[in-house]
Amino acid sequence: MRAMKTLAVAAAVLSLGAAEVRAEPLKIGIIESLSGAQTSTGRLFATAAQYVVDQINAEGGFNGAPIEVVEYDNAGGATGAADRFRQAAAEGVHIVLQGASSAIAGQITEDVRRHNIRNPGNEVLFMNLGAEALELTGDKCHFYHFRFTTTAPMRVNALVSAMAEEGDLGTRVYSINQNYSWGRDMEEAILAAAEIGGYEVVDSDLHEVNRIQDFSPFVAKIRASQPDTVMTGNWSNDLLLLMKAAGDAGLDVRFGTTFLDQVGNLANAGETAVGHYIAHLVNLELEDEAWIADYEQATGHVPVYIEPQTINAISMLREALSGLDFGGGEIDVTQIALALEGATLEGANGTLSIRPEDHQVVTPVVVSRVAEGAKYPVDDTQWGFVPVKVVAAEEAIYPVQDSCNMERPD
Amino acid sequence: MLEFVIVSTLNGVTYGLLLFMVSAGLTLIFGMMGVLNFAHASFYMLGAYIAYSITRTIDFWIGLLVAPILVGLLGVLVERYLLRRVHRYGHAHELLLTFGLAFIFEELIKLFYGDFPVNYAMPAYLRFPAFSLFGADYPFYRIFIGLVAIGMFVLLYLLLSRTRAGLVVRAAERLPSMAEALGHNVPLVFMGVFGVGAALAGLGGAVAGAFFPTNPNMALELGVIVFVVVVVGGLGSIEGSLVASLMIGVFSSFAVGLNWSLARLFDLVGLGDWARDLGGLMTLTLSSISGTVPFLLMLIVLLVRPAGLFGERN
Repeated sequence: MRAMKTLAVAAAVLSLGAAEVRAEPLKIGIIESLSGAQTSTGRLFATAAQYVVDQINAEGGFNGAPIEVVEYDNAGGATGAADRFRQAAAEGVHIVLQGASSAIAGQITEDVRRHNIRNPGNEVLFMNLGAEALELTGDKCHFYHFRFTTTAPMRVNALVSAMAEEGDLGTRVYSINQNYSWGRDMEEAILAAAEIGGYEVVDSDLHEVNRIQDFSPFVAKIRASQPDTVMTGNWSNDLLLLMKAAGDAGLDVRFGTTFLDQVGNLANAGETAVGHYIAHLVNLELEDEAWIADYEQATGHVPVYIEPQTINAISMLREALSGLDFGGGEIDVTQIALALEGATLEGANGTLSIRPEDHQVVTPVVVSRVAEGAKYPVDDTQWGFVPVKVVAAEEAIYPVQDSCNMERPD
Repeated sequence: MLEFVIVSTLNGVTYGLLLFMVSAGLTLIFGMMGVLNFAHASFYMLGAYIAYSITRTIDFWIGLLVAPILVGLLGVLVERYLLRRVHRYGHAHELLLTFGLAFIFEELIKLFYGDFPVNYAMPAYLRFPAFSLFGADYPFYRIFIGLVAIGMFVLLYLLLSRTRAGLVVRAAERLPSMAEALGHNVPLVFMGVFGVGAALAGLGGAVAGAFFPTNPNMALELGVIVFVVVVVGGLGSIEGSLVASLMIGVFSSFAVGLNWSLARLFDLVGLGDWARDLGGLMTLTLSSISGTVPFLLMLIVLLVRPAGLFGERN
């Protein structure tokens, strides 16, 4: 009995001591498509995020402990994402990262919103790394959602102004996009930019996502309307097959794209891709060589596709965290969100910041052209993305959508 | 209008022939063995990747030759050591086995070749327009794909209907125990059929992979549509597969060019504007759902002729 008592006291003392030294680690959950069709993109988001977190941890982590990163596989679907989010929330994740697919982001942002209403004081922050649907900062906007990528108007307006300056835009534009939130945003943005771009949208197509194997009928339709430029927000196979079909048919148009820098695209499209344009967030040619080399050493490849924007996003989080100190105590996610609103990042093309009204990142947009002689050729080809124009952050940003009614914490 | 019809037909026929090329092996395996092979599109993907590896190291044509052989051998191994074991438990087990295999093949490809599409392209001397039609080039390679598919059909058809080997295969399918009693090695026949079916998919992959992106998702992308082809054509009928492929190809191709919507139907009775105001389903154009055309076709065929166009077991 006596021995039991001593044991109990000892245990109590031990656990007390443990509570004192153990600081609460910041937990980041990456809910990405880590299996299934979008693995290639999901994996990149995770790699780039991990890279910056490793840097933060090397400098001592946050709140007296290394930041913990947990990967959750949403299997490429919104249902999977909802399940994984429940799991992440149960496991005490503070910040959720996701980027591939607006549909999945739409699910997660709603789940996060509901979770935060039901669990005051135990909020979760959603850092949207790559989902570009406008509704995420419109109808669906809320205080704990931050978008670190562009939207359709940002990309289209940059494309239009750069291509017009280069004399490659012409006056007849064909719009072809995928039939879901992102594609419809693109179509609208292309129509909206007609006046400032001085062009006429000759025809407009919406087609199913990743369902079309043969784009030659679409190419025949494009040819019939004789456009100078085809603008598309297509990604993955939908972009590749479209460009290949156009190239094979000898269609003489310029493409204005948004995701041409996806890995494998240039290798597959080959010469067909040369001379076409892309609006993206970062062109490596304009960046500092040192960090690119460091990234290559850490991960085995230079940053590609959505990796640079992910690095920027987590770097902004690092900036926000650097001004916070919870003294090893409980982590207050609302404080992190407030700090993130004020975080800025000095990029190669200007300052990145967060617009407090809808939590949209204000970032420069780079327009590049596929050509030989780029500093960083991609996919083991001789081609790469040569920067054509940098659109400054304040010029690229679009007005806050009226539909965003953000309720701020008291 | 004439231009639209000719161009759409041509595009549809070549796409249909490609579909036939991929689904021929599946039809063969189902028709002769009764095995619904979910891993079929994976054999197609393996064919493309093997051909890619050989093209990179040796030569495109050798890849075209070797890929089907290797994939065929793999098919033989799968039948001999996996499928045969579960055969006596019935079709559900065979289906589940091949379903699992499809996942394993996909992950293996990702393990060895990475998540991204690989640079498998036809040699430069094949990349030329065959002819020019209404100002549009028609790529020679599309014609090449079509010719390979037609060659495949003719060969398969003659093999099954005109040779002794075909007779034995058909006998083994219809009455296995009778064929066995006559001294034919039925398990060997099944193994051969499965191997040939896999090899056909491998050849399809080797040829089509150079035209379409070769990536770890290609099995997934084409997997569903080849099943639609087989179901529409009638399970097990080679001719049915050909007709179904062509129908799907041509219908999808025409659907893209036609901006038909339900609202236009209402125009006939003067209610078009009202229908357009309703929006939603009324203004949905045919071109925006062209990818759904094969499934619509399948639905209709299943309703009217449950065994498919050329199916025997109506």
